[in-house]
Amino acid sequence: MEKNEFLLLLDELLELEPGTVKGSESLDSFSGWNSLGIISFIALVDEHFGINLQPRHIAGCSTVEDLVELLGNRIGVKSRTGSVSGSVDVR
Amino acid sequence: MSDSLASGVPCEVASTTMLNPMDLTGQTVLVTGASSGIGRETARLISRLGARTVLVGRDEERLAETMRSLDGDGHKAAPFDLSLTDDIPSWLKTISASSGPLHGLVHSAGIHKLRPLRILSSQTLEDVMRINVGAAIGLAKGFSQKGVCAPGGSIVFLSSVAGLRGQAGTAAYAASKGAIVSLTRVLAVELAAAHIRVNCVAPGVVTTEMGLGLLGMLTTEQGAALEAMHLLGLGTPRDVSYAIAFLLAETARWITGTVLIVDGGYTAH
Repeated sequence: MEKNEFLLLLDELLELEPGTVKGSESLDSFSGWNSLGIISFIALVDEHFGINLQPRHIAGCSTVEDLVELLGNRIGVKSRTGSVSGSVDVR
Repeated sequence: MSDSLASGVPCEVASTTMLNPMDLTGQTVLVTGASSGIGRETARLISRLGARTVLVGRDEERLAETMRSLDGDGHKAAPFDLSLTDDIPSWLKTISASSGPLHGLVHSAGIHKLRPLRILSSQTLEDVMRINVGAAIGLAKGFSQKGVCAPGGSIVFLSSVAGLRGQAGTAAYAASKGAIVSLTRVLAVELAAAHIRVNCVAPGVVTTEMGLGLLGMLTTEQGAALEAMHLLGLGTPRDVSYAIAFLLAETARWITGTVLIVDGGYTAH
């Protein structure tokens, strides 16, 4: 999946107009990024990537870019920290 | 001298055999979802109560693992994909042809996907409903066929407290488990004439692979809050299997159309 597609999914998840999320935003700046939003993100990643994320994996993310990086090459972005397979469980 | 002798009323001769009203000796029970969790534990328990089991699941290796943990003999593994709901009745005919008529059926196989409404897809909804409800209907249809079910058969479905109380993110699963409650009541009425009892068990969160997976998707605070709702703590597969065995056995001979809640107090709030 391309990064743009991923950002559009985040728009939908956060109930924003398509194209709103650019990447550099702080997650706390979105009113939809609450406990249900986090569960929704975990479910979204399961649905689209088949990856079982856990809240602890997201705890260190403060920006949209951090979420992008968390998924690394699964959305066409080379992760600075390498593969995410060590930090998430893949079914 | 005892009172009865003194009064001239003869004493009842004490039985030397222990009464076990949940004895399932001589009964054959088909259990879906027997490769893990509640289904596996139910198979183990009812085998100890004397039943022969037909173990249903998709993973042959895991079914074999369950089989090795059973008491007694005559058990069979019957790998099958329950998403093929239209094929279930004819498949059950072949099962009963080789295992003999079935006395009980436990539908423990199920899918749980935590999906808040905003990202719930029609495909996920369909997948959950197909296994949790569609397969239940296919199994009941197959079980009630002539020759498949022994006289006085018992069907036990797995509902959930999710079908009785609201919990964010569980729309698909809750809808399917609420449907099981309705299905149980309808089939209890419809199959009573055939002397088939239909009941369901509604567990709270149980420490199965599925239950722990669900908890793993929650934040620490959310998980703690969910656990605190279970006044007696989270359940174990054994806690639920006791209720299932009760509904299969003679103990529930006058019970049909019931939802037996086994939730450590979750719904007491």
